Amino acid sequence: MKQAVILAGGEGQRLRPFTANRPKVMLFIAGKPILQYVVEALAQNGIRNLVIVIGYRREEVFDYMGSGERFGVDITYATQEKQLGTAHALAQAKDVTEDEFLVLPGDNLIEADAIAQFVAVKPEAVLVKRVDNPARYGVVTIDKGVVKDIVEKPKEAKSNVASTGIYAFTQQIYDFIAPELDIPDVLNNMIAQGKQLRAQETDGTWLDVAYPWDILSLNDAVLRQIQAKLEGIIETGVSVKGLVSVGKGTLIRSNSYIVGPVVIGDNCDIGPNVCLLPATSVGDNVVISPFTEIKNSVIGSDVNIGTGCIIQDSVIDRGCVIKGHFTACSGEADVKVDDEHHMVNIGAMLGEGCSLGNSVIAQPGVIVGNHSQVQALKLISGRLPDRSLVV
Amino acid sequence: MCGIIGYIGDKSAQPILLNCLKRLEYRGYDSCGIAVAAGSLEVYKDAVRVEELARVAPQLNGTVGIGHTRWATHGEPSQVNAHPHLDCSGKIAVVHNGVINNFQRLKRQLTAEGHNFVSETDTEVISHLIEKYYAGNLEKAVEAALRDVDGSYAIIVLMAGEPKLVAARKDSPLIIGVSDRENFIASDVPAILDYTSRVIYLEEGDIGVVTKDNIKIRRHGTKVVGKEHKVLWSVEDAQKAGYEHFMLKEIHEQPRVIRDTLGGYISAAEPETKLVMMTEANLENMLVVACGTAYHAALVGKYIVGELVGIPVRTEIACEFTYCHQIPAGTAAIVITQSGETADTLKAMKRLKEAGCRVVAITNVVGSTASRIADQTIYTRAGPEISVAATKSFTAQLMVLYWLALSYSRVDIRRVDSLTMGLRQLPEKVQQVLDNEDKIRQYADYLSRYENVFFISRGINFPVALEGALKLKEISYIHAEGYAAGELKHGPFALLGASTPVIAIVARDNTYETMLTNIKEVKARGSPLMALAEEGDEAIEELADLVITVPRVDAIFSPVVNTVALQLLAYYTAKQRGCPIDFPRNLAKSVTVE
Repeated sequence: MKQAVILAGGEGQRLRPFTANRPKVMLFIAGKPILQYVVEALAQNGIRNLVIVIGYRREEVFDYMGSGERFGVDITYATQEKQLGTAHALAQAKDVTEDEFLVLPGDNLIEADAIAQFVAVKPEAVLVKRVDNPARYGVVTIDKGVVKDIVEKPKEAKSNVASTGIYAFTQQIYDFIAPELDIPDVLNNMIAQGKQLRAQETDGTWLDVAYPWDILSLNDAVLRQIQAKLEGIIETGVSVKGLVSVGKGTLIRSNSYIVGPVVIGDNCDIGPNVCLLPATSVGDNVVISPFTEIKNSVIGSDVNIGTGCIIQDSVIDRGCVIKGHFTACSGEADVKVDDEHHMVNIGAMLGEGCSLGNSVIAQPGVIVGNHSQVQALKLISGRLPDRSLVV
Repeated sequence: MCGIIGYIGDKSAQPILLNCLKRLEYRGYDSCGIAVAAGSLEVYKDAVRVEELARVAPQLNGTVGIGHTRWATHGEPSQVNAHPHLDCSGKIAVVHNGVINNFQRLKRQLTAEGHNFVSETDTEVISHLIEKYYAGNLEKAVEAALRDVDGSYAIIVLMAGEPKLVAARKDSPLIIGVSDRENFIASDVPAILDYTSRVIYLEEGDIGVVTKDNIKIRRHGTKVVGKEHKVLWSVEDAQKAGYEHFMLKEIHEQPRVIRDTLGGYISAAEPETKLVMMTEANLENMLVVACGTAYHAALVGKYIVGELVGIPVRTEIACEFTYCHQIPAGTAAIVITQSGETADTLKAMKRLKEAGCRVVAITNVVGSTASRIADQTIYTRAGPEISVAATKSFTAQLMVLYWLALSYSRVDIRRVDSLTMGLRQLPEKVQQVLDNEDKIRQYADYLSRYENVFFISRGINFPVALEGALKLKEISYIHAEGYAAGELKHGPFALLGASTPVIAIVARDNTYETMLTNIKEVKARGSPLMALAEEGDEAIEELADLVITVPRVDAIFSPVVNTVALQLLAYYTAKQRGCPIDFPRNLAKSVTVE
């Protein structure tokens, strides 16, 4: 197998507000978009000829991935103008695929070990993994290594074997594709017509992000494996413990206390007296003012955080400006997404470009839409739509 | 303003030359050609784009060759005027970028001596001069020929039977790309990035002799060792990476360009460049010289420096600066040129240096001529800009001007802090403009139906009106004019009417109330009015027919977000009209002729 098709056109509705201006594959986890993990996993397994099917907000993918040179791969883009189904997305790559190729979802984070054996599999095949909550995925019924059927998000799962959405195909797959279908439907049709679909199991890293707070668990899982590096300037009196990565041009001022795993991007200005605790990711060009404590959170690029803030189990998307004494403490919350209720233990989820006045307090589980503005001394809770004005 | 390329090595020269020429097309694209030498010299050229030439050209055998893509100065674009140009014997081929001032006299002289000219170009005299002086040593012949020539040139000479390339430059850029068992000569770095990132910049008056394993450079008759530079740009930067046009890619790169350009300066870690000029306590005035879009950046700079530093700033268009006689000695001068090779700007720099001025260059190209003339160079980190219409380089130039003003030692520290924070927020603000692309695209469809458009504004956004008009006219071919809103009454009002839309750039600063009045005046003449305004501006929503909203920023930064919105507007208007966006007719990227 020399080639892979990565499906990167998906919108990720349930991840709003974080996917309003970017496709799901471009969500940043531990300083890198999910798509980059997929690309790197493939490159490490010797697959460097990549086709990326893009659609929704494709510019974000172009800007970051380019032609792939930075990642040691060669990328061809195929466009899916309308987000119909995953099979339709794959069909867009028909003209540029070779005889055999892998297909991967660009929005599931994988490590190289997950596909190490699969790259040598004989098509057609699907990569499966045993999971705790199979009902979230396609549940696969297997008999002697051959797939009997795939049931998408069943009410009751017959097994705990889930499809990873990673496949090995030959050109014949295109004969079974009809628009508005997802790949599992296509495969069921194929099996029904007597074609064989093998299953291979993996116990490598394969992580899915479905809801905004999943960003935190993924961030935690991935940060444990980062490479420590200290570029930029670390002033005297800064304590750095555990796995910490600091980008170039970043300044960490005196008396800051950083306990890894923590990753900090380029050109940030942090401290003095800032406390960064596990597991936290900080983007590029971020300012964190004195006496602020951040724990188990993801901070996007261009964010400015004032003095004396407490931020726990939170996601702050790019470009937010937060004045002093913002409190986003973690706690149990009942969060509604698509009419489903979820009991989660999180702090605040802030969309991009939000502006918060002094001493704003966020109730656990608050989800703030992009470009919202909150005046000083407000208590925010629940779900605020994009461009909300809290006065 | 042409692109030239030379290759010598073990591989077949033709595909390499054609690939490099494609990357040089931004310098001109009305005709192109290649010459390859094996035993004899074979030439193929025509008045077509490189892609077409690659399709129709026969296989030319040989591992040494030269190529050219042309932006016509002397003689119309035609097959016969395309380079390479040959001598009478057909053994010597020359590609040339520049202008030979005394070519008519030389041509008469050479014709009288029996040389037979076939083209109308100035370049052809060089081939014949080399033929005239050739006595067994090509390098000596080139040197002798160039002694007769008055003008600007970057040339590469290839001769049948000589396994080498001879290159020379004066007032036009030329670099040597160094690799193993092969070497390159090119007008510009992006041309050769596919093959090597090791580069030697030729200096004024250098003559280089390049074989596949050896590079010899003579400077004013003395042998010198060329210093090798490692280029930080990657091939990646010079590719479209999924985008339909370089221009759109470059517009989208702007949040990153802002971050990168500021990274080296405002980052709290020690700024890597200290600007000497701005630490001087006796700085009393400043002169800024530039052309085209860079000139518009200079005009914005005038307001930025005026406001923050509080000194008078004079701006000059480089080509007109030649005729301006008063240059006070000791003036602090800044020149802005993306390529660092703009002929008019370089000429102005030389005059400034002669007059005893301290010259700071703001340029995007490391090692460019401007950087070598200047006392100090500040690099914009925009990466290579391929699209002829400048976008990200403008934004990067503004970033440098902001930083320059903020680094002035007498600016109030509280102002510095709040503006530094504003600068840090700019990538996100620009991203917001980009995220509004779909709306701007709809407005562009509307705009594309018209043939005349006025852009108006006041204060720091007046240069943005000029830039918005320039972007629109250069790529969509719609006649567009930028005007100071107050000047509209002094004449252009006569042109207003239902078929002449006006685009008003409205900032929330001390120009706001007057701009509203101007907008009402325009509306009263029946012109369709499109406004560019801050989000939440309800007064504008009521007045204007169409409103493009931009995110709220400190008024001093409004030129950045406004310009990005106008770049998108111009891009989509041109796209709607089916224009060749990256290669507008008659234009070329770096203007290396006066």
